[in-house]
Amino acid sequence: MDLIDKLREIVGERVSAAPSERLCYSSDASMVKGTPDYVVRPISTEEVSKLVALAADLGVAVTARGAGTGLAGGAVPLRGGIVLDMSGMNRILEMDLANLQVIVEPGVIQARLNDGLKPHGFFFPPDPGSSNFCTIGGLIANNGSGMRCVKYGTTRNYVLDLEVVLADGKVVRTGSRMLKSSAGYDLTRLFIGSEGTLGIITKAGLRVVPLPKARRLVIASFDDAEAAGRAVAKTFASGIVPSACEILDRTNVQVLRRCDPKLVLPEGDVILFEVDGTESSTKELAQEIVSVCSPIAAQVVSASGEKEMEEIWEARRLVGAAVSRLDPTKSRIYVGEDVGVPIKEIPALIREIGEISERFDLPAMKYGHIGDGNLHVALFIDVLNEEEWAKLAEAADAIHRAAIRLGGTVSSEHGIGAARAEYMKIQWGEGTLSVMRAIKRALDPKGILNPGKLGLDDESPPPGGEG
Amino acid sequence: MNVRAKFEMRIDTRAIELCVRCGTCRSVCPAFEVLGWESRNTRGRIMVVKALREGLEPDSDVLDSLNTCTTCGICAAKCPAGANPPMIVQEARRGLVSQGIMTEAQAGFREKVNESGNTFGEREDRLGWLSDPNREGLKEKAEYVYFVGCLDSYRYPEVAKKTFDILRRFGATILPDEVCCGSPLIRTGSDAGKFVDKNLDQIKRIGAKTVITGCAGCYSTLKKDYPPEFEVVSVPEFLAEHLSELDLPRLEMTVTYHDPCHLGRGGGIFDPPRKIIKAICDLEEMKANRENARCCGGGGGVRAGYPDLSLEIARRRLLDVPPGVDAIVSCCPLCIRNLRDAGSDVEVIDLVDLVERAIKSV
Repeated sequence: MDLIDKLREIVGERVSAAPSERLCYSSDASMVKGTPDYVVRPISTEEVSKLVALAADLGVAVTARGAGTGLAGGAVPLRGGIVLDMSGMNRILEMDLANLQVIVEPGVIQARLNDGLKPHGFFFPPDPGSSNFCTIGGLIANNGSGMRCVKYGTTRNYVLDLEVVLADGKVVRTGSRMLKSSAGYDLTRLFIGSEGTLGIITKAGLRVVPLPKARRLVIASFDDAEAAGRAVAKTFASGIVPSACEILDRTNVQVLRRCDPKLVLPEGDVILFEVDGTESSTKELAQEIVSVCSPIAAQVVSASGEKEMEEIWEARRLVGAAVSRLDPTKSRIYVGEDVGVPIKEIPALIREIGEISERFDLPAMKYGHIGDGNLHVALFIDVLNEEEWAKLAEAADAIHRAAIRLGGTVSSEHGIGAARAEYMKIQWGEGTLSVMRAIKRALDPKGILNPGKLGLDDESPPPGGEG
Repeated sequence: MNVRAKFEMRIDTRAIELCVRCGTCRSVCPAFEVLGWESRNTRGRIMVVKALREGLEPDSDVLDSLNTCTTCGICAAKCPAGANPPMIVQEARRGLVSQGIMTEAQAGFREKVNESGNTFGEREDRLGWLSDPNREGLKEKAEYVYFVGCLDSYRYPEVAKKTFDILRRFGATILPDEVCCGSPLIRTGSDAGKFVDKNLDQIKRIGAKTVITGCAGCYSTLKKDYPPEFEVVSVPEFLAEHLSELDLPRLEMTVTYHDPCHLGRGGGIFDPPRKIIKAICDLEEMKANRENARCCGGGGGVRAGYPDLSLEIARRRLLDVPPGVDAIVSCCPLCIRNLRDAGSDVEVIDLVDLVERAIKSV
């Protein structure tokens, strides 16, 4: 019996080996490419378990995929084999709000979860720019976060329990409904950020928190990004932890204003400070931010209401891809886009990126979560120009090395995948990486789960940067 | 097979390269919501088109990928990079069809339209809805032409009659030998030149400066695929402009409004139908409305080519209907037909039906 027939025995018609289907699962939002032999869309833990057991028997690679919105090739099947499209497992199984948690399948879209929680007065805080289309499974597998993690933390802080299909098809639970536990290794956290290399997540228990009663947005513009960085440091030093603290450099601001001329954004390098809490507490905090920033800022304004605030956040979420609107011959290519440094090194990082941009003659927009040291760099090129592709790869490499040199990370929330695998050894050193490899070998001795990722392979991973 | 060369003639590489595969469209594509495969969403379709240019064999899966797009355009409305996927899909279909590569459904549909001049293959008189005395009294020269369209001509003759009864008060006439506007052919990749020429010739002979139509598909085609030699106005726009002259009384009812994709997102016509509805009765919006309105599933050749998919999309659209309304009003006979066929509990009517009820209530 062919493999496809065996797969059909498990999932019926939810398997495809059509060339066009395999093509559509051969990349995510990154430049990494790898074509699966089969695409399978399971809808239950039992199916996933049988599929992985079959793959283990045959030594076939299995790569889990959510919405395919990843920016590092985490869901790209570098060694072919089976892609498990988990987005069909998309039920919110239980809203256990008395226990401050929800139980969900991995294919639930982040925004749909929050739509469901809102009427109950709760929310799940990790909010990446892709909230409207990324899946919870992908968020967990990459320890994704977003704008509000400066106050609320990353996905890691919200996962209480996982159901995981291991590399031999066995199903295990890693936690419970307890909000805290002191009983052995923290396996939940082991799987968070493991990018499908240790097991396939089929269910998750997530902690949720009450929605704040009020939010306020202070918008401060600066003559240069370094001044903006100083204002952020000063705000934290004065004891304020904003619920979001975002930087948009002047190019970003131009792009956003071009896309929506009605947006209330002043010219210059802008910091968006959001505070949440009660009406009175947010008012007080917003006033304090205004007085802290005023001596450094060129202009400080407050968003006038919920609608204006939401318009700015919505525009901010999509800024990554919107650059083409400024110049249709330029496309945003997601490389070197997720570095992070300790927050006091942010001005140094901004300076270095400016130098790199000049050295390679590539325009670079900088935006991101300045409050936690995570800077998204948008490099854009003419995709029809071969020379620009070459320069792009070199510039991205320089950005990654600069972040490591400043004591930071090559990925703050998008993951390592294949795009950044080569930096794992440089960032962590051989000692730490060998511990990770030992864990991988222990849980996946045959190496079938998402091979080629995280720099765990003994041989060097295949390159992924070609256009 | 020289697919690549022909594709390069009509699809601008930059139009395709605008897509950065971010996945925004994945969450809004109505066909994907039902089918679940990546190749059945916008991002996948653009990848497929790109690969076709690089030599991917256009097999039946490729055709299903491209042809399951309803061209509703919600992906284009949401795309942060400003891509226009329906245009790319339509051009890809055209490129393939021009080389004889199409599904049986596409081929059958094309043959039927080409032979009969309408989307149903009907042999009956297209003006059957018009009574003899009215037919004889048709004006040969007029400022306005009412373009009826295949659906209202053959399936909803009462709507055609009601629309013309109102429009002729303003001096409108109809084409003596109207044929299909060409939309079903153009959307599914075929040439509609002979239909365009035939209608255009008659419009010119009548001397009409304005063509009025009650079908969103005809509206879009007359506006975008015909030479810009006349103004195209939708029935709701025309009625809204002449609202005071219609002197409509109020009806004790609450309706909701379904924005047809090609009228709303495609034509920016959101307010005129609402203005008329609100003049007559109460309006309660659907859960997704205006720019965010969900497709009825009927367009882009999907109703003809993939009837199960088409009706499932319509069923999901019906979930947006607010509880307790007396009717779903729309301005496109294809939307109305699909929503009715999907088993709407609530009556689905044309805006003109509502206007006529108001007029008759006096």
